[in-house]
Amino acid sequence: MKLSVRMVVVLTSIGLLSGSFLATVGHLTKERIALNKQREIEAAIIQVVPGTVSSQRLYEERDLSVYGGKDNEGNIIGFAIHASGIGFQDKISLMLGTNSSLERTNRLAILDQKETPGLGAKITDYEFFLTYWENRDCSVPLTLHKPAASSPEELSPTEVNTITGATISSEAVLSIVNGSLEQVRKLIQEGKLSSEAQDVN
Amino acid sequence: MSTKTIGQEFIKGLWDENPVFRQLLGLCPTLAVTNAVINGFAMGMATTFVLIFSSLVVSSIKKLIPSQVRIASYIVIIASFVTVADRFLAAFFPPISKSLGPYVPLIVVNCIILGRQEAFSSKNTVGRSVTDALGMSAGFVLAMLVLSAIREILGAGTFFGYQVMGPWFKPWIIMILPPGAFITLGILLAIALQIERRTKSRK
Repeated sequence: MKLSVRMVVVLTSIGLLSGSFLATVGHLTKERIALNKQREIEAAIIQVVPGTVSSQRLYEERDLSVYGGKDNEGNIIGFAIHASGIGFQDKISLMLGTNSSLERTNRLAILDQKETPGLGAKITDYEFFLTYWENRDCSVPLTLHKPAASSPEELSPTEVNTITGATISSEAVLSIVNGSLEQVRKLIQEGKLSSEAQDVN
Repeated sequence: MSTKTIGQEFIKGLWDENPVFRQLLGLCPTLAVTNAVINGFAMGMATTFVLIFSSLVVSSIKKLIPSQVRIASYIVIIASFVTVADRFLAAFFPPISKSLGPYVPLIVVNCIILGRQEAFSSKNTVGRSVTDALGMSAGFVLAMLVLSAIREILGAGTFFGYQVMGPWFKPWIIMILPPGAFITLGILLAIALQIERRTKSRK
């Protein structure tokens, strides 16, 4: 066989073989990977909307999903807003819990981030950062308290804390939260947030 | 063709030709994911899997691949096994997959793997190639464990997630940050070089 033909034949067959091999592997693991993601989201909903017994997906689009946390009787006791946006280095994905009127925050959880370890990565730290996001008045856009406060008492009800040395990460989280809250409010006004949507479980 | 015995083929990867300490290969994952022992170990295992299977496949089909397209062929073979490792971790060990992040897909460009295909598997029998891959992987895992143990103990006060340092210990945060990786690797390389010199002068 001519060399040029042989080169094409060999590379093509290696490509085809590895392609079909990978398609099989992808098919076999797809369901499990999706299940892992779903479990992670369910765990986060329970964390950010305390008292949730079951949850329901109310809305979904790119970078924004809204879940309703329900109590024993099936009443929605709060929203869990899953949103993502750009942080200092990469996407930050978070889950914000609010009450059912969208006026108070319950809890914030960071699901995924690749901020600088020791600095921006402190956005995942409860005592350092996340505790300052509890019970905030979010009927107006939240603002950052600069310089960083050392206890939640120093903040006004619409303020959240900054991380010293990681202002960009703090601002990124703030803008994701404010942006998603505004979007969800708009969705409610437009009547797009129906509670008839499919169940998460 | 190599003239070593099968045993020597395995042993050389542990020290004489240790990929990290002696050949200085695969330093990207070595520096990046050794901030915790579990991450270093998982990365070592993923690399082991990819290296062994790539060596197996490359050494079995080495005669079929024209030398002009050998690198491209090796990369496709390596990338396939890397994707398998990546999917496997995401499906069965999601927390590890998350903490290793982009470094699992980056095994594709780990020089240890391509280096062994080019330097060894493409010239030796299947048996020897797999033995060589096993030895190199063992040497790599060993290096990852030493590095990550030092960094995790000093940087977080834990080993494999278990607290090993008393409450008096204040973690050296720098050890789990990139500078800690460079400092630790530098010191370990200096020690490795010193040991090598001593043994040579004794001979």
